Amino acid sequence: MDKRVLKQEMLKILQPEQVLADDLDLMYYSYDSSFLTKLERVYPDIVVLPRATEQVQRIVRFAYENNIPVTPRGAGTGETGGAVAFNGGIVIDLSTWDEIVEVDVSNMQVVVRPGVIHADLNNHLAKFNLFFPPDPGSSLMCTIGGMVANNASGLRAVKYGCTEQYVLGLEVVLPNGEVITTGGIRSKAIKNVSGLNLTKLMVGSEGVLGIITKIRLRCWPKPKARGIAMAVFSKLDDAPATVLEVYQAGILPSGIEILDKSAIKAVNQFKPEIGLPEDAEAILLFEVDGNAPSVEWEGTNIVEIAKRRATKVEWATDPQRMASLWEGRSVTATAAARVRPDGSRVFAGEDISVPLSRVAEALRAIRSLGEKYGIPVVNYGHIGDGNVHTAPVIDPENPAEAEKANQLVHEIHLLAIELEGSTTGEHGVGAVRRQYAELEHGEALKVMRLIKNAVDPKGIMNPGKLI
Amino acid sequence: MKFKELPPVKEQIRKCVRCGRCRTVCPVFAEVKNETVAPRGHVFMVQMLRDGVVKPDSKVYEHLSKCLLCETCSTFCPSGIDIHELNAAARSFITENQSNPGKRLVFDTLWTSPKLLRASTAFMWSANVTGLMKLARALHLTKVLPGDLPKAEQILDRVPFRSARDQLHETIPAQGKKKLRVAYFLGCATNLLHPEVALATVKVLTQSGCEVVIPRDLKCCGLPHIANGKLGTARSLLLHNFELLSRAKVDYIVTDCASCSSALSDKNVRFVLGQEEIDANLALTAGKVVDLTAFLVNVLDIGPGNLVKRSEHRLTYHDPCHLAKAQNIRKEPRELLRLVPGVELVEMAEPDRCCGGSGTFALTHYDMSMKILDKKMSAIRNTGCDTVATCCPSCSMQLAYGFRRSRVNGKVVHPVELLAQALP
Repeated sequence: MDKRVLKQEMLKILQPEQVLADDLDLMYYSYDSSFLTKLERVYPDIVVLPRATEQVQRIVRFAYENNIPVTPRGAGTGETGGAVAFNGGIVIDLSTWDEIVEVDVSNMQVVVRPGVIHADLNNHLAKFNLFFPPDPGSSLMCTIGGMVANNASGLRAVKYGCTEQYVLGLEVVLPNGEVITTGGIRSKAIKNVSGLNLTKLMVGSEGVLGIITKIRLRCWPKPKARGIAMAVFSKLDDAPATVLEVYQAGILPSGIEILDKSAIKAVNQFKPEIGLPEDAEAILLFEVDGNAPSVEWEGTNIVEIAKRRATKVEWATDPQRMASLWEGRSVTATAAARVRPDGSRVFAGEDISVPLSRVAEALRAIRSLGEKYGIPVVNYGHIGDGNVHTAPVIDPENPAEAEKANQLVHEIHLLAIELEGSTTGEHGVGAVRRQYAELEHGEALKVMRLIKNAVDPKGIMNPGKLI
Repeated sequence: MKFKELPPVKEQIRKCVRCGRCRTVCPVFAEVKNETVAPRGHVFMVQMLRDGVVKPDSKVYEHLSKCLLCETCSTFCPSGIDIHELNAAARSFITENQSNPGKRLVFDTLWTSPKLLRASTAFMWSANVTGLMKLARALHLTKVLPGDLPKAEQILDRVPFRSARDQLHETIPAQGKKKLRVAYFLGCATNLLHPEVALATVKVLTQSGCEVVIPRDLKCCGLPHIANGKLGTARSLLLHNFELLSRAKVDYIVTDCASCSSALSDKNVRFVLGQEEIDANLALTAGKVVDLTAFLVNVLDIGPGNLVKRSEHRLTYHDPCHLAKAQNIRKEPRELLRLVPGVELVEMAEPDRCCGGSGTFALTHYDMSMKILDKKMSAIRNTGCDTVATCCPSCSMQLAYGFRRSRVNGKVVHPVELLAQALP
């Protein structure tokens, strides 16, 4: 469709400031955090920023009638190209629609629009002694809509699980412009097994089945106490062994994170004041939360267990020290680049998930793959649930290095499948991991495509992603 | 120096992983909320400019100019990218490729000559009645800073009749035993708009045993030029000033203006000169530059000593971006305020959030600037204070306008004014 006509049509639905159609404006929507979108640049035909279900409905209906691809987008912090319009068409940027509709304290639920920022939601819920437990490293910038669409989790998945466990119901604009409510039209029930579970189908569907416009989340009481134990290891294998021993002692921490040698170096370069110990092969961060006596008990026991293998163990309950350690972990993703003066971390092959029993094997294999390709790889991640983040650090503007990095990443993905794991634990498939769908799912992929075709017969919703 | 060869352009663009962390702290993004003003978006656009994907034209300039250069994102970037430097370098690259006579007149002629600048403010003083617009038209300013100037006219309050320079000798002796010889870098805005701050600075310095020199031919620090695409002019100003300062044979170079001290800082000198390493002599002189508040606390170790006159002030402190973010000076101004007998310091929420003034930004992007100012004024209001202390004339002007705009009888002071008042 002619871009001018498209703009005129969108202006019938939206205010001028909600429509970006200038060529220069559109360029800013050519990327997310993925390495792929650093290498390839594709532009949408128009960007719209709706703030009402009816607006989304009218936009999608128009797209459906005119066979125009639609790409939903949150804060654009994804690492898979999921929010980028590889087939052109309309990008629906939902990040300005950031209304917390209702905090239902007596039912411990919250209803939000998709653009609410994760950290903002938890700051708001804290006033009611509630919280939404999944805690992605990108908490400060990612949207709840993006979290739901990708079934995100993060640093506290060990104890609290992933986003899907908290979504009670969704309002979704289907590809033909119809609006449905999953989980029951009026239902606020926490337990609900009525009907096919469309909520779970939509969570993690990465925008290929429709656009999420309202989200009902279950919240939990905010723990009153918290503590962080940091254990320092001179041998890499001692870290996963300690994690297992902590579980076997009957302790379920809220988070268990690993940073390897190069991740420690990167964090220290960005935030020297955190002062992570440099002379280590790996460090583990155990977070425990709950009530004060249980936190103290769990902390003491973790320290005892960790001491068997660790060279040093620190137990912190001081809020400042805890915030500093946790921040150290949360900035690792980007700070990784600091291990090489002229380098940049690339988000590719960064999210494999392997069984707990094979974490050490995975870390060793990734390290030797890095050596094979001559690329430094910073390893960190959610060791407590086997979700390892790997950060190749290269000069992304050197085509030869970029090519080598892509080969390395391909091997990392294959490694994950070989180790009985998955190519992605929480970041999603998007455009970058779609090639592994058949290998991972076999015949089940056909069923996924049947569902997709039934809901989106014209294939307009986020084409080129997920399946 | 070629745009593509500038160290930030050459070394840093590739480091951006577009994580979006910068989106969460940018005051402009908080108002506009779309990717076209996100700091990572600016990095992306500078890359497009570098790679020739977009042309260095006024449309790209317009996009890049929606940035306060407040450096908040730069300090927050885990990849260590100086996003403000990339943006400023790109503005200059575009300006070099465009002809804009009005801009040349203002930034290359008027703002490089203290005399002309003084003459124009004298004119402004007489024009206070007839309005700034007349002056602006006479100077072709309307062509340089289009659109928002008629509204921005209100920001400027009164222009004092006598500049600080008119009232101060070139060398002012120390009172009592001379401890140090100090060059006072008297910035344009302090000199012309806030002479009372300059007088206070000299009083405090001399009473603390400093011989103060104000070299006559000092010119602008170059910060307005950096922000307005005139990096080349900033470069010659900087070399001129450092030459003079080096000849002054002083122990320290002190300024009460956050923008000036950041412009003269070692880091900014390297950026403006486009060099990773600078000449040893220059480095020596640049190494002597210290912001007044840090100088009083860390070098002179000023104590309650002579601060004898008590006056009751319940006030809050606003961190100028060029002090807090550019130089990480946060605790020193507060320490000084607490030294003054009768001062009660009440912290506001997000004291280091930009006020939206940012030099000429308030003139070029008035509406946006006011939205950012509204947030700051609301934080101030919540403290219950009607006095704000800050160390930057641009912030000072913006905050004073914030009070007038909300019809509050508030006051903006520099901490050094309170120190001076407490002295005998």
